[in-house]
Amino acid sequence: MQGLWTIYRRELAGLFFSPLAWILLTIALFAHGYFFIVYLVSVTGRDLRAAMQLALAGDVFWWFMLLLPPLLTMRMISEEARSGVLEFLLTAPASDLAVILGKLLAATSFMGILWSSALVYGLLSQMLGVSPDWIPALSGVLGATLVSALFSSIGLVASALSSTPILAAFSAVVMNFIVIALPSLDALLKLPPGHWAKVALGHASVVSQYQSSFGIGVLDSKHLLFFVVWTAFFVFVATRLLEKRRWS
Amino acid sequence: MITVRGLTRRFGPVTAIEGLDFELQKGEVVGFLGPNGAGKSTTMRILAGYLPASEGAAVVAGFDVLRQSMEVRRRIGYLPESVPLYAELRVEEMLEFQGRLHGLSRSERRQRIPRVLERAGIADRSRAIIGRLSRGQRQRVGFAVALLPDPQVLILDEPTSGLDPLQRLEIRKLLSELAQEHTVLLSSHILPEIEAVCPRVIILSHGRIAADGSKDELLQRLGGGSYVRVEAVVGPDVAGALRLLSSIRGAGEVRDRGRLGIHHVFDISCVEDLREDVGALAAARKWALRELSWRKPSLEQLFARIALDLPAEPDVAPAPAGDAPAPTAVSLEVQMPASAAAPGMRPLNPFEPARAPSSGAAPASEAAPPVNAPAPRVVYNLNPFDQGASRDLSRPKAIDEPPAQH
Repeated sequence: MQGLWTIYRRELAGLFFSPLAWILLTIALFAHGYFFIVYLVSVTGRDLRAAMQLALAGDVFWWFMLLLPPLLTMRMISEEARSGVLEFLLTAPASDLAVILGKLLAATSFMGILWSSALVYGLLSQMLGVSPDWIPALSGVLGATLVSALFSSIGLVASALSSTPILAAFSAVVMNFIVIALPSLDALLKLPPGHWAKVALGHASVVSQYQSSFGIGVLDSKHLLFFVVWTAFFVFVATRLLEKRRWS
Repeated sequence: MITVRGLTRRFGPVTAIEGLDFELQKGEVVGFLGPNGAGKSTTMRILAGYLPASEGAAVVAGFDVLRQSMEVRRRIGYLPESVPLYAELRVEEMLEFQGRLHGLSRSERRQRIPRVLERAGIADRSRAIIGRLSRGQRQRVGFAVALLPDPQVLILDEPTSGLDPLQRLEIRKLLSELAQEHTVLLSSHILPEIEAVCPRVIILSHGRIAADGSKDELLQRLGGGSYVRVEAVVGPDVAGALRLLSSIRGAGEVRDRGRLGIHHVFDISCVEDLREDVGALAAARKWALRELSWRKPSLEQLFARIALDLPAEPDVAPAPAGDAPAPTAVSLEVQMPASAAAPGMRPLNPFEPARAPSSGAAPASEAAPPVNAPAPRVVYNLNPFDQGASRDLSRPKAIDEPPAQH
C-alpha cells in the first residue's frame, strides 16, 4: 500500500506538532497517574495487581476512551478538507484507504503511547521491590490500544461526515457513547434470558469484550477479532465517505 | 498527452462543465481562460483525478483518469488554486513528504529537492515553516511540490494568483522553461499571463469551450480583422480620398468614420500592416496626418466579448437607441465600433455639430439642440462623496458652454 507509511508518519508528526496533542497527553498522563495512586492507596487497599488492572479497565479508563480519540481525529479529515490539503492527498499517488489507515494508525499510536504509561507504574513498583503481574498489564495495554483503534475509526467517520472539527469531535463522542452504552439497553428492556436480542447485546458490548479478555490477561482470538472487525468496518465507512466527498 | 472526450460534470442540478472536447500534445503549453465559474477548476480537478466526471472520459499520459487513477496521479503534478500545504511543516519537510508519497528514494530526494527549490526560487527559505511564509512564497513552494516528482504533465490552477508583478514575471519565465520538457495546462483569468506564456488558448464560458486555438487563430476567427486608422486633412474631396485609400494593395474595405474637426477619419481593414503605404500616399497627396495606427483586436476584447456573451462580430453589436446609455461592455474596454454608436451619441465632440438624430430615435430627440447649434457638454458628478454635501446626482456639476459660433 503505497503512501500508507508516509502518511502515517506525517499524521503522527502532525499530532505532535499541534499543542492539542501535548495538552491531551499531559492531562491524560497526570490523571492516569493520579487515579493509579488513588486505586492503589484507597480503593484496592494497596493491592498493586488490582490497581494495575483498574488503571487499564476502570471508569476513568473508559472516560478517556470516550473523549480522547475524538479529539485526536476531529481535525484529520474535516480540517484538511477545509484547508484544501485533502485535495493534495487525494491527488497524490496514495489510495483513499491508505489515507484513512495512515490517519487511523497515527491516532492509535498516540493512544498506545498514552496507555503504555501504565507500564511505567509497573516498572517503578518493580524497582521498588514489588513485582506487578506483567501479563495482564501487557495484554491490557495491547487491548487498550485496540479499543482506541476502534474509537479512532469512529472518530474518522465523524470527521469525514462533518465540516468543522468541533462538530466532528462532538458527533464522535456521541457515537462512542452509544457504542459503550449499548449493552445497558439489556437492563432497561428486562429481556428474558436467552432472548436473541439479549445475546446480541451481550456480544456487542465493547466493555465486556475488553474486560473479559485483555483486562485480565486472557487473550482470546474471538475478542481480538471483535475489535479488528469493527475497526475495519468503520475504516470502510470512512473510506466510502471520503470517496463520497469527491462525488458531491 | 491529455485527451478529453465529452467531459461533463454536474453538481446536483448545476452543470459545471458540459461536453468538453480537447487534446493536448506532448510538450504543448495550453492556457485555460474563462471568467470565474466557467468550469476551469472543475476540469482540472477531473484531470488530476480528484473529481470523477459525470459523463465522458479523460485520458492523461495514456491512462484513464477514473479507472487508472493511480497511474495518472504518479505522472502529473497538480497545483490546486488553494495551494494546499501543511502549514506546520518546514518547506523541505513538505517536499520530503511529497517525495516519499511518490516513492522517490532517499538519494533521489536528496538530489532533487534542492534543485526544485532552486527552480521555484525559494531555496533560501527551505528551513522556514510554511505557515509563516507569505502568499507568494507559498505559491512557489506549491510549485516546487508539484515539480518534485518530475511529472510528464503539469496541471496548474491559477499559478500566478496572489503574486506581485515581479514574481509573476519570474513565474512566467519558469513556465516557459518548463514548457520545454513538460506538457502544461494552466488556468488563469488574467489575460496577459496566458498571452505571454501559452501559444494555445482554450476559452471556457458557462462550462463549454467557447474557443480553442492559437491566439492569432482565435483573433482571426472570432475577433474580426485588423485595420489601419487614418486621421488626416483630406480636403473637400472625401470620395476621392476614399477611392485612393481603397486602391492601396492589400487594403480591404475602407470605411469613412466621419469628420473630427478638420480631420477626416478612415478605417482601412487589412491583414498586414499598411501604415507605410498609407503614409506614402498621404505624403504624396500632401494630407496632413494626425493619426496613423494599426489596430488589432486584443485577446482581452475577445475574452470580454465571450464572457459577456456579446456577438462574435463587433460590427453587428446592437446600436444603442438615441441617447440610451452605452452598453456595459464599454466600461470593460471592449471597443465599441464607431458604427455601432448611434448618431445621437456623437455630439460628445464639442467641435462637431450634432447631426440630426435618425428618425428611429425621434422620441429621444425632443431635447436635442437644433441641427447646427453645438450641444453644451453637461457633466454630472457621479461620486456622491466627492463634494461633501452636494449629493443631488440629478444636478449637473458643470456645464461646458459650447464655443462661440463664428
